[in-house]
Amino acid sequence: MSDRALRVLVGSLATVGAAIAGYLVYTRYTNTRIACATGGCEIVQSSKYAELSGVPVAVLGLAAYLFLLATALSASELARAAGAIVAVAGAAFSLYLVYLQVAVIDAICQWCVISDVVMCLLAVACVLRVARAPRPT
Amino acid sequence: MIVGAIAIAVAAAMITTSILGSSGDSPAPPSTVAGSETTTLLEGIPQRGPAMGTPDAPVTLVEFADLQCPFCREWSQQAFPTVVRDYVRPGKVRLVFRGLHFIGPDSEKALRFALAAGQQQKLWNAVDLLYENQGSENSGWVTDELLREIGGAIPGLDVDQAFADMPTAAVTAQMSAAEDLAVGLSVQETPSFAAGKTGDGLSLVNVSSLTADGIKPALDSLLGQ
Repeated sequence: MSDRALRVLVGSLATVGAAIAGYLVYTRYTNTRIACATGGCEIVQSSKYAELSGVPVAVLGLAAYLFLLATALSASELARAAGAIVAVAGAAFSLYLVYLQVAVIDAICQWCVISDVVMCLLAVACVLRVARAPRPT
Repeated sequence: MIVGAIAIAVAAAMITTSILGSSGDSPAPPSTVAGSETTTLLEGIPQRGPAMGTPDAPVTLVEFADLQCPFCREWSQQAFPTVVRDYVRPGKVRLVFRGLHFIGPDSEKALRFALAAGQQQKLWNAVDLLYENQGSENSGWVTDELLREIGGAIPGLDVDQAFADMPTAAVTAQMSAAEDLAVGLSVQETPSFAAGKTGDGLSLVNVSSLTADGIKPALDSLLGQ
């Protein structure tokens, strides 16, 4: 897969992720109910794990997705490296959030799970961008 | 390699911050108790067990809530006063509290206290004050001391009697009845609401927001307004 194709993939996934995170941020700050098929969205979003040092995790997620979207616009080595760092860190944190939902909070937020999957796919795509970057000879 | 190391370090820092942040709960919230606003809001409105408002109000609205649920607290603070002033006090709506306790032990203790207060027709005063003093989930915030302070802020409540009633079969039966009703209506989250013409069946209400505007259309529709 070419870097151009990977950039399109990263951009597409980041857009999906930003839309989900943006929706969760919107519901949080407008007191709107979350559309939820799993029944656990509000339990998860209102739990003590929904914030990191006072910042809603949804806001952090939105920032990460927008950052990854920005890295997809550039073919530079810095953009690839920065994208990989944010995506891999985000994926690792996402796995931790999935663990919290299943083992600690005992409730599943469908939007969070979809976002976690998207972030893991982004990590794979961003790592591929770094791995397939042209090497200096 | 360096990229991976930095990423793992960032993730580790975030997870550590999350763990430390979630373990620093104080056992009880700062004592706010208060209660004068609640007393004023509910003064003169008839209460009977979990129900508030005139029994022959044309519409019945049932709230399913967990007293530890932050969204239930938001509804209580943002929508409840308006619902009481515009619908319950004028005799249009009879409001019934059906407490659930799925979040944890603090939920059950708070609920038992509220239902025990209901034996003295003071359930809604207790519910409103419990929300006002709500602490972090399962942090042990529902202490006997807090309940006694809340009880003391409710005019006419015999606090010792309320404590004596908390473990009784009557209170347990109300908890079971609420669970059965919630299961019957397929309640999946809190707060959830069911409404209907008084005496007829109840249907779940889709609440668009946790403000009064979120529930008004359903009530107005049932009232034929």
